Amino acid sequence: MPYELIATLMFSTMMLMLLTGQRVFGAIGFIAVVAALLLWGDRGGFDIGFAAAMKLMKWYPLLTLPMFIFMGYVLSESKIADDLYKMFHVWMGGLRGGLAIGTIGLMVMISAMNGLSVAGMAIGATIALPELLKRGYDKRMVTGVIQAGSSLGILVPPSVVLVLYAMIARQPVGQLWLAGVVPGLMMATMFIAYIAIRCRINPSLGPVLSAEDRDMPRDEKLRLLRAGLLPIIIFAVMMVPFVNGWTSLVESSAIGALAAFVAAVIKGRMTREVFENSVRNTLGITCMFMWIILAALAFGAVFDGLGAVKAIENLFTEQLNLSPWMILILMQLSFILMGTFLDDTAMLVIVAPLYVPLVGALGFDLIWYGILYTITTQIAYMTPPFGYNLFLMRAMAPPEISLRDIYGSITPFVLVMVLALTLVMIFPGLATWLPEVVYGN
Amino acid sequence: MRGVMRGYITAVDAVNYRMGRIAMYGIFVLMGVLLWSSVSKTFFLPSLWTLEMAQFVMVGYYILGGPYSLQLGSNVRMDLLYGGWSPRRKAWVDLFTVLLLIFYLLVLLYGAISSTAYSLGYWKTEPISYLFGVITGSEEVGRLERSSSVWRPYMWPIKLVMIIGFTLMILQCLSEFCKDVLRLKGEEI
Repeated sequence: MPYELIATLMFSTMMLMLLTGQRVFGAIGFIAVVAALLLWGDRGGFDIGFAAAMKLMKWYPLLTLPMFIFMGYVLSESKIADDLYKMFHVWMGGLRGGLAIGTIGLMVMISAMNGLSVAGMAIGATIALPELLKRGYDKRMVTGVIQAGSSLGILVPPSVVLVLYAMIARQPVGQLWLAGVVPGLMMATMFIAYIAIRCRINPSLGPVLSAEDRDMPRDEKLRLLRAGLLPIIIFAVMMVPFVNGWTSLVESSAIGALAAFVAAVIKGRMTREVFENSVRNTLGITCMFMWIILAALAFGAVFDGLGAVKAIENLFTEQLNLSPWMILILMQLSFILMGTFLDDTAMLVIVAPLYVPLVGALGFDLIWYGILYTITTQIAYMTPPFGYNLFLMRAMAPPEISLRDIYGSITPFVLVMVLALTLVMIFPGLATWLPEVVYGN
Repeated sequence: MRGVMRGYITAVDAVNYRMGRIAMYGIFVLMGVLLWSSVSKTFFLPSLWTLEMAQFVMVGYYILGGPYSLQLGSNVRMDLLYGGWSPRRKAWVDLFTVLLLIFYLLVLLYGAISSTAYSLGYWKTEPISYLFGVITGSEEVGRLERSSSVWRPYMWPIKLVMIIGFTLMILQCLSEFCKDVLRLKGEEI
């Protein structure tokens, strides 16, 4: 059987298996080991599944994963970021739509303290959202603000998604993280610009806070600024030793996890319940990621063995006569399309064996593509019918926010994100400039 | 039959729950190892053992914690169709597809067994009977495999942990299978 056919067969059976609703790692792992047994059963094909476990063990940066997940849960469960919200509330409330703009700022700061979007989501939906609604902000707009803002968590360093991508694309994590900084801040600025423009056209979307609501002694106002120190301190104790080369990335992640934990203890928020929830959820989420990667690596190994990527590249460039850019754009479009009905872990599995090596073979920079990949994942996080953020939002939002509101709220923000994606595609420098400055020479 | 299944479910779930609760605190062990690594690197001589130790802890963490994560329902499913099905239909489909998951785990387990046998110095093609032989004393342990780092730890203990973890995972999947059977018979789980 020709290799292209085997590859197509593997993909289609995997999609079918995923549709049955069995656990994702089981579906992928099963296809991988069956294919390996059929192809190379007598020559070590039985070993591919387990070889992935050893490969996974030896991949050092993966140790950051439980640390950042733990950090995220400590932050969201203990709610130590709520004075951070107050700070933005008081300082930004005087502007039209200022609270919504402040919420984006809050999300950027939370993103700099953890690597998943769930922490920003939890803090946004439980602390910021009720306040914004009470102040008469348009509920559709603010629901969108929180979803879009929290998705920055996976683009602004530290980012768990980029750690996983790094494993698959065999690229250095440090460079990928730096590459995420400029596009992340650019996207935050674009969200802010969007909010400001909409509120200027229609002030009822984001009314200015009443004077008595903002009336507060100057000392008190300045004291609130101290809340902003927390994320800066946590980010600094984590990143300063790393950037100076005193500790490795993995060691820094442990320092960050410790810092978040200590901050929660000092603030008296580390109750038994918070402790139990963060530790248990960390195990659950880490296991979910690790088992999926374990299966995806086996799947990828079979693909490598088949030389399927070469065959597909050949199909596109030689037989269909497409230019590399055309292929890239087609890939990105298909990716966004898939993202609307696949969940992010399934996307990671598809991107692993097929897209990443193809992008590499076409001569594109894999660091740059990591950022495109992450932005696309962010979009997938938010688009119905399957978006991780949509489900979280439904679970956490106050009852007056209906599912219709949640679905309706995201359209403009998704368009802004597509625009950001396009900008990074046209100007690769947005992603590659910072890592080049830091690591270059 | 139902009694047997119920007994099996209770026993396996209890064992895996305890194992998972222990593995869960591995996050602090991992954190401790990594913090010691940064402290020793900054103030004393860098430790040689921390990197690999951290990797071993991580393996124990996610493989021994895996069955508990199944109990918690943390492992994502694609719910495009699944999410809309009735509980009965979910149970029916899971009944079959979980067998495929078990097949995958069996292949992993076999790989782990053959790799453990290798780490005990056995290169031939009957790793399962060899390992039994080692336990009963009828087979000799050969040249032990060491990691190729400076620390040079023996490799068999971590591979043994993987064997235990994959076995517990299979037992937990069988427990899920039994739960689905009982659900289809209309019992409360």
